[in-house]
Amino acid sequence: MRKILPAAIFLTLSAHAWAHAFLDHATPAVGATVTAPAEVAIWFTEQPEPAFSAIEVTDAAGNRVDDGATHQDRANPRVLRVAVKKLPPGTYKVTWRVVSVDTHSTSGDYSFTVAP
Amino acid sequence: MSCRSLAAAFACLIVVPVTGALAHAVCGNRVFPATLTLDDPGVADELSLPTVQYSPIAGGGSVTSYGFEWDKTITPTIGIGIAGGYVVQHAPGANAQGWDNLAATLKGQVLCDENHEFMISVGIERDVNNTGSGQLRRYDAIENISTTTPAIYFGKGFGDLPIGWARAFAVTGVIGYEISDRPARGPNQVDYAMSLQYSLPYFNQHVRAIGLPAFFAHLVPTIEIAMSTPDRGGTATGTISPGVFYEAATWQAGAEAMIPINHTTRQTQGTGFIVQFHLFLDDLLPNSLGRPLFR
Repeated sequence: MRKILPAAIFLTLSAHAWAHAFLDHATPAVGATVTAPAEVAIWFTEQPEPAFSAIEVTDAAGNRVDDGATHQDRANPRVLRVAVKKLPPGTYKVTWRVVSVDTHSTSGDYSFTVAP
Repeated sequence: MSCRSLAAAFACLIVVPVTGALAHAVCGNRVFPATLTLDDPGVADELSLPTVQYSPIAGGGSVTSYGFEWDKTITPTIGIGIAGGYVVQHAPGANAQGWDNLAATLKGQVLCDENHEFMISVGIERDVNNTGSGQLRRYDAIENISTTTPAIYFGKGFGDLPIGWARAFAVTGVIGYEISDRPARGPNQVDYAMSLQYSLPYFNQHVRAIGLPAFFAHLVPTIEIAMSTPDRGGTATGTISPGVFYEAATWQAGAEAMIPINHTTRQTQGTGFIVQFHLFLDDLLPNSLGRPLFR
């Protein structure tokens, strides 16, 4: 059994594996200063289940500035998008909570700044 | 603990981990990696295979252990673990090899404050003598006395700090009281350990995306300190272990130097290393072996 174990592990790793979904990258980028975006998009490391996943965007006062309609990208199921209102200059917080397709729940947040 | 010879003292010091279960933990934005010389504050389905630990023995020779550990969740916040390994000792007049004793752990997560990335768990570990190699026991290369260690574990990420670059820091720690079955031969002792981590994945995901090359965006430089102090008095012994983890979606790899922390420790061991390959079974096998028995 000990002799075949490394091979078994290699095969397990080689096969497709699901995992916790974490942020891979985003637009606007994490911590970036940008011109006012029309939407926030997040690329996750695993495919989220859109029915149980959401992105919220709030201003410095905590007011929601997204349209509340997080949706999955049609071309890339690992991407979630949400449209935002016309954003005046300031710092905004993006909060995401997703359930990956293997039911792992994860959450996170980051900020970006809209330049004057 | 019975450590009559230098080689045995060395083996007792380095082969037996401070605590048994080494698992990764997620709390809010923070992912605490599975540290190598102390347990992290979480409960999860995981497999460490192998953990290779090497250290030279003062006076000549070396001890190498090839360890494993399997952790299984019973509920999402309660888990058990079993650990063991194969030990090879080369020492003047004391060459020996064989299976180490087994250690079993019961652990429960009692707090996860996601907003403050703060976790606390409690656990108890039982190291069972007479489950390992008789040859190693005759050389005192593994423990001859069973011990029971209740312990408390914590983890704190600094994502709530106002200073951006500092938010990627985190600390974890454990303190346990190791109770010997035969305290007249092997004294009870206090085991305590801490890690300081700087998570480049955290920095990239929650502070600022600075376009790190993909490899570096997975690294968590870490320094660990693991100590033991006999409760009847005596000098503390332990190691300081700088190293780095590579965090992937379903596995991690870690490597650390193990440096004796004081003169007393250097009397038994030199600077060695520890490396580990670690599988996140909850991610690899989420619908079978990697999920809690009861939800």
